[in-house]
Amino acid sequence: MSTQPHVPDVDNATLEDRLYTVKYEDPGDSHLDVRIPGFCEERCTTDDCVEVCPADVWRKEDGDEVPTIAYENCLECGSCRFACPYDNVVWEYPENGAGVTYRFG
Amino acid sequence: MTAETAQDDMDGGRLSHDRTVSDPNYDGEFDAVVVGAGLAGSAAAITMARDGLDVIVLERGVSPGAKNVFGGVLYTPTIRELVDIDDAPLERYVGEKRFGMLSDDDETAVALRPGEWHEEPHNDSYTVLRGDFDEWFAEQAVEAGATLVTETTVTDLLRADDGTVVGVDTDRPDGELRASMVVLAEGGNSLVSEGADLKETPDRRDVAVAVKEVLEFPDNDDAIQDRFRLSGDAGASYHYFGDGAVGDAFGGAFIYTNDDTLSVGLAYRIEDAVSSQPKPERTLNRFKSHPAVAPLVRGGRTVEYTAKTIPEGGADAMPDLVHDGAVLVGDTAGLVLNNGVHLEGTNMAVESGYYAGQAVASAVENGRTDADALRSYSRSLNDSFVVQNLERYEWLMETATEDRDLMFRELPRAIADAGGEYFRIDREPKATHAENAKARLLRTVGGWRGAAKLAWRYRKVIS
Repeated sequence: MSTQPHVPDVDNATLEDRLYTVKYEDPGDSHLDVRIPGFCEERCTTDDCVEVCPADVWRKEDGDEVPTIAYENCLECGSCRFACPYDNVVWEYPENGAGVTYRFG
Repeated sequence: MTAETAQDDMDGGRLSHDRTVSDPNYDGEFDAVVVGAGLAGSAAAITMARDGLDVIVLERGVSPGAKNVFGGVLYTPTIRELVDIDDAPLERYVGEKRFGMLSDDDETAVALRPGEWHEEPHNDSYTVLRGDFDEWFAEQAVEAGATLVTETTVTDLLRADDGTVVGVDTDRPDGELRASMVVLAEGGNSLVSEGADLKETPDRRDVAVAVKEVLEFPDNDDAIQDRFRLSGDAGASYHYFGDGAVGDAFGGAFIYTNDDTLSVGLAYRIEDAVSSQPKPERTLNRFKSHPAVAPLVRGGRTVEYTAKTIPEGGADAMPDLVHDGAVLVGDTAGLVLNNGVHLEGTNMAVESGYYAGQAVASAVENGRTDADALRSYSRSLNDSFVVQNLERYEWLMETATEDRDLMFRELPRAIADAGGEYFRIDREPKATHAENAKARLLRTVGGWRGAAKLAWRYRKVIS
C-alpha cells in the first residue's frame, strides 16, 4: 500500500509471475556454469552475479560457497558474464532455438 | 508469420523446413553468412542481396526478434531508404519527448511537442516491438533474395591456416558453413566474436543492464491515450533521470507508448548494479511507484518482462570493425549512443549493416576479403553520424561519471526545491522567493563560480 494518498498503488507482478510471461523452452542442460568453483569459494566476497541478475538465476543461500544457477529463469541478457570480476561465468547460447522466446521484445 | 512458413516461402520453397533442421548442407553455397537477424544483420543482408551476393542469415531464435530486446524507439532514416516502411509493423510515431528529473518524491520535467513531429515522416522516430518488427525486416531481406535459417546457433568461426575467417560452425548436425565473408551481427552479448578474438569482453563500466516490462491495461481501453494525451497514431517517449529513476546508479528510466501497451523500463551501468543498488527488478518496482510515475502505469498488467545488456562504451570501446573475412556491426560493434538526452542504437545498427553490406559486396566482387579490402566499411562508418556522434559525446560519460552525485542526486533535488520555492504562494514578495530559489541552486553547484564551471564542462551537450 502506498503511504501517500496522492500516489496510486502500483501492483507489481512478482518475479515469478514476470518470468512466467516469457515463453521458455528448456534446452535440457544449463547454458550457464562457473569456470572454477574455487574462485567463488575463496576469492569472491561480493557475489556480483547475484546482485546484477534481473531474473534471480544466480542465487546464494545460507552456507552456499558457490552460487546455484537456476538457468531456466535466464532471460539471456548476459549481465552476469560482464559483472563477474573473475571472468568466472561460463555463458553459452542455448542451442537450436531453446531458451527464451520474446513475443514483444 | 512463423519461422517455418518464412522458410517455406523462400525462393519458392527451394529450402524446405525439414532440410534446414536435419541437414543444413549449405557449405560453400553462399558468399556471405550473417550471424543474427536483428536490425544490423538484416540491413546488411538486404544490402548484400541487392548487390547480387548469395546471402544466408543464421538466427538462433525461433524467429527473428525472438531473442531481441530494446527500449523502444526505432529511428528510421536509413531503414526508409532500404525498404518501404508503409507496411512495417510500427506502433506509434513519437509526437512528444519528455525529460523528467526525479528525486525521491519530486519531478521537474521538460516536454517537447513540435508540430512538425505530427507530420510525415514524423522525425523518423517510431515506437515498435521487436518481435514484430525484426521478423518483418528479416522478411524484407528474404524478399531481396537472402536465405533465412532460424533456430540455428553459430558456435564458432572457421579459420584458414593464415587466420582468415572462412565461415562458421553451428549447432546443426554437420553444421559447418563455409563462405567468403562473415558478418557478425550477434548483439551485445557477442559470444562468437569474443570467442574468436575479434573483440575483447567489454569492461563492466561500459555495459549497462536493462530491464523492461510491457504493460497492458485490460480494465481501461483509453488509459494510454488519456494519460499521455495522445490521439491517432501519435505516441510519446518519456525519459527519466535522477535517484527517483535509478537510485545511485548511472543511467535512466523510460516509458514509451505502443499501440495499446506501454514499454516501461530502465538501464544503468553494471558497475553500479553490483554496488549498493537494489537488484534491477527492485529498481524497476521503485521507479514505477514514484509519485510522478505511478499515475501513468497504475492498473497495468505485465504481459512481458525482458532483460538486456547494452554496450555503452562509446567510441573508445569500439572493437576493430574489419578483420580478414569478417566484419562487426550493430551492438556487436558497440554502436549505441547514450548521452542522457539522445538514446540511439537502432539507427546506428542499420547504418552499420548498410555500410558493411556495401563493403562486403564490393570485396567479394573483387575476389578479396582481407581486412584491407573491407576498410571502406570502417571509413564510411567513421565519416557517418554513427561514429561522429559517438566521438562527440565521448567526454560526457567520463565527466558525468565524475559528477554523478551532483548530476543525478543533488541537482535534481535542488532544482525541485528551487522550483517549489520560486513558485511558492505565501505572503512574502516574489523577489524573496526568487532570491531563495537562486540561493538553493547556487548552494548545490558551488556558487556562481561553480555554476560557470559546470556550464562550461557541459556546454557541448547542447552546442
